[in-house]
Parts: sequence; C-alpha cells; structure tokens
Amino acid sequence: MLFRKKDRREAPDAHEASGLFLFDQVPDALWAERVLKRAGYDYALVAPPHHLRAGCDLAVAVPRVEHVGAERLLRESGVPVRGWVDDPGSSAAPVDLVTTVDFGDHLMVRAGNMKIVVDKNTLVIVNTSGGGCPDIPYLNVELVGRRLDEAPRPKSLGYTLCGLMLDRAYEEACALLGVEPA
Amino acid sequence: MTLLVVATYPVEGGPLVLGPAFLETDGSLRVGDAAVPHAQGTAAMLGAACAASRYLGTSAPWALIAGDIGRGDGTRAVFNALPAALAQARPSVVAFHYLQPIMALMREAVGAVEREAPGALLVADAGGMYAAKAAGLASRFELMTPDVGELGFLADPAATHPAYVSHYLFGTDGFDPVKLSGLAHERGGAARVLIVKGEIDHIAEQGEVVATVAEPLVPALEAIGGTGDTLAGLASAFLAAGFPTLDAAVCAARANREAGRVMGATPAMRARDLVAALPDVLRDNLCAWSGACAL
Repeated sequence: MLFRKKDRREAPDAHEASGLFLFDQVPDALWAERVLKRAGYDYALVAPPHHLRAGCDLAVAVPRVEHVGAERLLRESGVPVRGWVDDPGSSAAPVDLVTTVDFGDHLMVRAGNMKIVVDKNTLVIVNTSGGGCPDIPYLNVELVGRRLDEAPRPKSLGYTLCGLMLDRAYEEACALLGVEPA
Repeated sequence: MTLLVVATYPVEGGPLVLGPAFLETDGSLRVGDAAVPHAQGTAAMLGAACAASRYLGTSAPWALIAGDIGRGDGTRAVFNALPAALAQARPSVVAFHYLQPIMALMREAVGAVEREAPGALLVADAGGMYAAKAAGLASRFELMTPDVGELGFLADPAATHPAYVSHYLFGTDGFDPVKLSGLAHERGGAARVLIVKGEIDHIAEQGEVVATVAEPLVPALEAIGGTGDTLAGLASAFLAAGFPTLDAAVCAARANREAGRVMGATPAMRARDLVAALPDVLRDNLCAWSGACAL
C-alpha cells in the first residue's frame, strides 16, 4: 500500500464520501499530508479530478464530514490550499507497482518508472533514474553517494510526483535492506 | 540544420543560458560561456548530442536552459525566452527535455515553434513529453522516447502524468510495448515515431512497431541514471543531421547499447561514462549502421 489509510476508508463507499483539497504544488500537498497525519486525520494522496489538473498535481482526499475541521487545521498551519472539491468523482491514486532487480552487489528498486539503486554491502545509493521532472536530476545529485540510512527522504527534497514515486522506491529499498527510513 | 534543446539543469536559481553546447576534453559540458554541472538529464542529453554532431561534422547543438530543481521557476524562464531563442537559433529540430510539465506553457511553446521555426521537427522526452501528451499535442511531435511505463501513460487518455497510469493497461506480463504503441497512436497520445526504451528497444511509426533493437543486451544500463537521456540526445542529433527519423531512432538505440557494452557498464556507473564511450562507438560503427561515414 503506497499511502497510509485507516480501515474505515477501505469500505466500498468510503471513496464517494471523500472530498479533495487541491494545491498549486506537490510539496504543498505533502505538507498537508504531514499536518493531517500528525492530527490523526484519515487521508489519501490522489490525483485531482481531470478537468482541474494542471499537469503534475497531487490532491489530498479526506472524508467530507471532516472538511471544515481539516481546512481550519491546514489554514492554521499555514498550508496554502488552492481549494476544496466536494464531489470529485473518480480520482486515481498514484501507481503502486513496485519491482526489484538484483544485480548481485547492487539492488535496484522500481516504483512506477522511478528507480533507486543501492550497493547492498555498503548501503550507498549508487544511482537514481527514471522520471522526467526537473527535481529528478536534482535528487540524483543530492542522493547518489550517500548511505541509504543517512540520506534525506526523496519526498523531503523533491517537488513533483516523480520525486514522490522515487520516495516510494526509497521506502521499499529501506524495507528490503533492513534500514529504518529517515 | 541545428538542434535546439529546451530544458533545465539541476541548480537552484541557475541562470538562463542560450548558446551552442560544447563537450570539453575532460567530459564537462559548456553552453556558451556557462559550465553545466555533470548530472543525469540535460548534461547527459547534450553530451550525447555533442558527441554525435562532432562525429558527423554537423553544427553543435544549441541549448536554451535555466536552473530548476523542481519548483518550475527555470521552466518558466526557458519558455518565456523560447520565441527569441527560436528566432536566433533557427533550429531544424527542437527537443523539449527536463521541464516542469506545465500544459499551458507547452501549448504556447508549440505555437511559438510553428511561428518562428516553421517546419522544425519536434522531439520530446522527460517532462517535455509529459507536458506535450497531457496538453493534447503529442501527435504534432516527430519523435518521443518513452520507457515502457511512460508508454502506458501515453496510451492512457485520462492520465496527465505517468504516476497516474491506469492499471487496466498493465497486463500480467507488464506493459506490452507493441499493443500500447498502437493504443497511444490511436488515442492521439504519441509522436509520429516512438523509441520505447527497455530490455528490447521498440521503434514504432504511427503506432506500428517497425524495428527492434535487442543487442547488445546490457542490463546495467537501466540502473544508470541518464542513459535514456543519452538515447534522446543521440536521436535528436541524428535527426538534426538529416537522418530519416527511423534511421535516427535505430542508430541511437544501437549506439547507446554499444556504448554500455564498451564501457563495461555496472549499476554504479554514470551517464557521463557512457558519453565518454560514444566517440569510439560512433567512429567504429555508425558508418556501417547508417552510411554516415566521417571523412
């Protein structure tokens, strides 16, 4: 499961009962996620409705019944929210296709089309690849050469959905190599 | 016959630069008077394009680039500067590469190319490809270079980013490049020609796979950040040199793989190692592959 959900969101009609907070930038959505998580809210990171997408967006779904309280919390925390959609229809979650390739001394983990490669003996990140947003070369510069257990999380450095997917690969690499994620 | 690469480089606040790109003997890249840091992305793409144009004796590629680490500031700067850059460079090929995928800006950019450089062929990879497809402009492009996951995105009319590809496109054996190339073309999500990067590179023209390149097989290339960028750089440079698009695609796929073999690729190597191997690869093979023989 890519994003944490509470059991009650697994109910078949739970999705219909959610609305969406929209943001201008992916980091704002991730900031909202942190704020809502800390406060114990039920949430999921999803795609905005098609007609409201700008091209590289992320939205946060929360149950409609909690809209007012969640919005107040986000406002008080300073998170810039572009708007709220009460009835988003179908909103796809980011892909959760995680695969691995074992090169012997190196392990490559793919999440969607994002990849992270770690030296299994030293835990040093030797490569990142995939994705096409401008934070991907930046993350490559920032992460390669650092140990998996000392590197910052890609989602704390990145700004786009590509960075978020790389974080998913990082999370899986940590799990497979017995490292506690940062 | 000039290639113009429109892209960003991973330096926060890095200035806007326009000019011809040169690969120095130590492997570093310069655009005009500015040094572009070694990294995957733009440096890898331009490095490969420089190597190809140097071998072929054609004009050095031009670059319009600005620093952007994912906030979109550099992307906006290059799009704003594009009309003037087109007027100055008069490119025959314009390649959109690492850019924040902002659909509205891509719509303006394609309009600017059609006004300022009519007839120029459009290439897209990375964020440039995401923006072109999401904005409904993919079919105006001559060449795109998706990996198989990105091909799923091109084939999914509802997706505006590869992170949201519909799972229904993903079969039990993963994405099928032959089927998805057809779907992407049919649904208006693909360029006229695609190089679908993977264990086997599939080259599709108007939705039909017309060539594959499977040798040499160098599995470590997938792990090295930037090897897709070098492929895009090679194909763009060949296109600017006048190669027919299918020949440009096949030669690029072959050269990229052969460079991986020559450098003895491991998962810990870098795209700049591949760029360094390209001069020998092109010298030893391109004449036989394409008839483009240096004098």
